[in-house]
Amino acid sequence: MWAKVLLMVICGGMIALAARFDPTRSRSLLLSGPHDGPRMRFITWNIGYAELEDDSRAHTKDLQAVAATILSNDPDAVALQELTDEGQLKILLGYLRGRYKGAVADPGNADRIEAVLVKNRDVKFDQLAAAGKYAIAATFRPQASFPEIVFVSAHADAFSTARRRMYTGEVVDWARSRPNGAIVIVGGDFNFELNPNDESHLYSDNVKNDSEAYSYALKYFRDLGRDAGETAANDRRIDYLFGPPEKVLLRRAEVLRNAATGQMDHWPLLIEIVL
Amino acid sequence: MFTQLKLEGLKLIRSRSFALSFIALTVFVVLMLWGFYTYAERKAGEQATAQFKYTYESKSYFNGLTFALYSVMFSFSLLIPIFVAMIAGSQIAGERQAGTLRMICVRPVSRVSLVLSKFLVTAFYTYLLVAFFIGLNLLVGLFFVGWGDLQLYPGALNLVDEPGKLMRDEALWRFAYASLSGTWSLLVIAAVAMLFSVLFENPSMATITAIALYLVFHIVGRVEFFEHLRPYLFTTDMDFWRDVFKPEIPWQSFGRYGSICGAYIFGILLLAVTIFDRKDITT
Repeated sequence: MWAKVLLMVICGGMIALAARFDPTRSRSLLLSGPHDGPRMRFITWNIGYAELEDDSRAHTKDLQAVAATILSNDPDAVALQELTDEGQLKILLGYLRGRYKGAVADPGNADRIEAVLVKNRDVKFDQLAAAGKYAIAATFRPQASFPEIVFVSAHADAFSTARRRMYTGEVVDWARSRPNGAIVIVGGDFNFELNPNDESHLYSDNVKNDSEAYSYALKYFRDLGRDAGETAANDRRIDYLFGPPEKVLLRRAEVLRNAATGQMDHWPLLIEIVL
Repeated sequence: MFTQLKLEGLKLIRSRSFALSFIALTVFVVLMLWGFYTYAERKAGEQATAQFKYTYESKSYFNGLTFALYSVMFSFSLLIPIFVAMIAGSQIAGERQAGTLRMICVRPVSRVSLVLSKFLVTAFYTYLLVAFFIGLNLLVGLFFVGWGDLQLYPGALNLVDEPGKLMRDEALWRFAYASLSGTWSLLVIAAVAMLFSVLFENPSMATITAIALYLVFHIVGRVEFFEHLRPYLFTTDMDFWRDVFKPEIPWQSFGRYGSICGAYIFGILLLAVTIFDRKDITT
């Protein structure tokens, strides 16, 4: 009898102990102490549709809702992915009531393009070639006394991990070679699948390629949206905003989960930093 | 109780499955060494840099500690649980099949102490198996691959969400912790197999049912359809043992899931003891 009672007590003790521990580690935003510097907001958003749709690129009918989300969050710069052509950008800029300037990347060998929007009037746009595709970068200075900001909109291949590893490497190399003193933020849909627990295999080239690509980005940049959670359907965190590891303070990282419209399978990722 | 433990220990050591499990794990380590060695040669050679400009898979990355980590991780989810279930599943049902259970039960030994001593011996075997496997991997890693620091990257093995490193001495301690956390985690399967061993007449049936239950939960936990079931599967909680390899051990989550495993172990054991205590032994 005593042995059964002992087992019961130990079992109850274990349940009580489990309840005492809190498994969710509240990870505070790194380097987020009080700071009075100027704040800037950035958004990255793949506005394309889920793969099952006939046309998985952005749909023009959704652009008004996209503009409403941008205007209500008032970011300083926005990186958009999967637009069909420059015409969509012009329509979007119209919905934004002329408050943003923008440019699209050359499509290269893809059927969809990236765009970058910046609130600042005095902005320079650059194309950067990476693994047969193009990304688009905006360089601007929010105010004369502020450092120069370089904001990149990128979209890595959704199907080949090798291609996205090469693409990421070239975008990161371009970004880290910007003039010293410039604050570089790289935003986009990188499609990294870093959660192999959900896969049936234990170790594969696909997992390793994404691991290599993401680790290479983290060698020079900080994953500013890491604590914001999944950014796309099926619990995937595949949209990223990479920023400098030390120069800025992160104040907010949030995925705007009510913003997707139509059959979009991504949500916008918003970050707020202090310069 | 000590005599009982000594007798059960002797029976275990003399069983074929005891030796078989150690031999199988040794073969697995040899196979891993061959795979790891050829993979490292291929990936750390010039061929790797032909396609990609950058890689962390350098010669310093492929060292004995990395080898041991991969080997331990790969075998823990599917290989070692089979041996643990095999030994635990044969404890009571094996006696029944051999016709010795009735004889043991008529001796002045309580049924509860019989089940508990058999479980304690199984727990000792589990620790021995895990410690042997980790030790063997480290030794093979040291002699055939060479030592260095343990570098961890996101994605591969799903241990960290940013690149990290464990210095050699610290990493060795973590392997020692893993022998304890791994044993604790595997004891859940041991308890389940012990329960089936009490319920079924045949040890094969007990072992197969325990392994099947484990595999079903393991697979269901990885299928997106059953995402909402994941928190209720013991296989999800068993994964806590891997946390000791994270550069900063998440003690809160480690404590929680370790305690849940403890609740499973003692809860299932209580059920097994209660059923066995009231069971008619007719064989």
